[in-house]
Amino acid sequence: MEGLPAGSLRLSRITKKMGEFQLRDISLEVFPGEYFVILGPTGAGKTVLLEVIAGMHAADAGEIWLGEENITAWPPEKRRFGFVYQDYALFPHLNARENIVFGLKNRKLSPGEINRELEAVVSLLGITHLLGRLPYTLSGGEQQRVALARALVMKPGVLLLDEPLSALDPCTKETLQQELKRLHRLTGAMIIHVTHDFDEALYLGDRIGVLMGGSLLQVGSPEEIFTRPRGEAVARFVGAENIYHSEIILHGGRKYVSLGGALLQVETDLTGRAGFSVRPEHVLVSSSPQPENCLPGKVLAVYPRGLLTRVIIDAGERLVALVVAREDRGVSLVPGSTIYSIIPPAAINVFYPPP
Amino acid sequence: MGARLFKTLNLLVTTLVALFILAAVSTVLVRGLPYIPASLKAPELIFAVKLSLITSIISTTACLLAAMPVAYALARYNLPGLGVAANLLRIPLTLPPVVSGVCLLLLFGTTTFGTTLARMGLRFVFTVPGIILAQFFVNLPSLITVLKAAIESVDIRLEYVARTLGYTPARAFQKVTLPLIRNNILAGLVLTWGKALGEFGAVLMLAGATRFKTETLPISLYLNMATGDMEALMSSAAILILIAVVSLAVFERAGVKPYERVPGL
Repeated sequence: MEGLPAGSLRLSRITKKMGEFQLRDISLEVFPGEYFVILGPTGAGKTVLLEVIAGMHAADAGEIWLGEENITAWPPEKRRFGFVYQDYALFPHLNARENIVFGLKNRKLSPGEINRELEAVVSLLGITHLLGRLPYTLSGGEQQRVALARALVMKPGVLLLDEPLSALDPCTKETLQQELKRLHRLTGAMIIHVTHDFDEALYLGDRIGVLMGGSLLQVGSPEEIFTRPRGEAVARFVGAENIYHSEIILHGGRKYVSLGGALLQVETDLTGRAGFSVRPEHVLVSSSPQPENCLPGKVLAVYPRGLLTRVIIDAGERLVALVVAREDRGVSLVPGSTIYSIIPPAAINVFYPPP
Repeated sequence: MGARLFKTLNLLVTTLVALFILAAVSTVLVRGLPYIPASLKAPELIFAVKLSLITSIISTTACLLAAMPVAYALARYNLPGLGVAANLLRIPLTLPPVVSGVCLLLLFGTTTFGTTLARMGLRFVFTVPGIILAQFFVNLPSLITVLKAAIESVDIRLEYVARTLGYTPARAFQKVTLPLIRNNILAGLVLTWGKALGEFGAVLMLAGATRFKTETLPISLYLNMATGDMEALMSSAAILILIAVVSLAVFERAGVKPYERVPGL
């Protein structure tokens, strides 16, 4: 099955107030064939953003373009973006088959053509055996597949997925993640997928946009969002637990930040007052002092996590390290013991603090 | 109060109320039923039954046609002024039907609007169309309320999804929401029809009580009561009760599909 080629989808300064949700000045370009993930906590306005993209709500301000067309004023039935809701929103009075062909029925297609399209999408998703069943008899994963089939059978240029995996158990979730990746490869559709789950975003997204408090705070590759969050809120949300503020100090042609009285060398173009974040897994621990970027400290608490161990250290400031249990040979990981934390310059992500 | 005493008291009151209703209704039925065959040959009662059926069916249909768009607007559109409109639409629901009848009588009998309509041939005062109008006016708000609640119970996102699949709002309503509220519509229609059949106060005020002209079953009952014709009175009352019981049965049997029991839909 081939997706219709579409131009890129561009949101330009979209603003929308809806009850308690507000989207502020969202500008974004998603490219044909791209798997774009909008990542954000609950209440960030993710669903409203998707519904604005689909045309269900008109934006208060801003424009939406698809390729060369300004589609800002187009109703959903003209945009025809596929939409899959978190709880799938299958039509409860129709069986799986009727749900899937619902959109085709509105076109002037012959029964033969409808059946051909149905066959194709049903075999793609492996749901032939479910066709006669009513939605309420289907499991979450099965409903999800039917909802995907209902959207995909229309060959939408843009497919919008609203938290499609969050209502599923972990095992089904993993299977369906792979499924989504496969479907994306096969259909070549532009997918915009909304989630609050960082792992899901990392696995699926070609690019990720972080939406918090109705604002798009950062757009970038998963790697970039993961290691170079551009601000405290994003850093915290993607799990960089060690977040501090410092003056950037220029000394001997190198730049440093201060943490708990020690100076740490950083690689940054920024100057002046800045924030910086360090992911716990990038903190190394040692029993003896090291020459570079080393902080003395005291172990406050140790939480074994299977292969990994979470260590809370008092290094003048609270510092969290995630160390591989086997690699801590010679390091005494008991509360009260002295420890040296090493943070390589490349692991320190420097950003401007919010104004 | 002990748990047993509490339960016993509740059940006792329930039983007493049920017996009270049964006694009141069955007294009329027991006395009226034997008269029905004979009175069904009486031209006056035949007229009343026919007129009641015709007017109630027309007014119920009119109620449905008017209530559906209103209910949809109230349930789905988020516009300023709709809240005020919703309260305005509820007024006839709270008025005594007799007062509704007076309102209609004055509007159609004394105002320029009414006299203009009358000159165009649309006469509602002391006419059969007046019966229909009175039933329509009194029953419309409750049908709107029933349909509004039904439409609100259907997740608006189902209509959204239909639209992303190429359906216009009207088609999405027709293909998704309408089938999902089919039983609510049926129930609303049966209730409306039953109330239209029994409507007395508003009909009396607007259409009057003229034998063989605006004589519906309740009006007939009233006229026969006034003239002391107990035989005719009993049979029209019994017929009204029978119709009510049958429509209640239909209402109860309006099948509920399994998916309608799924919470959250």
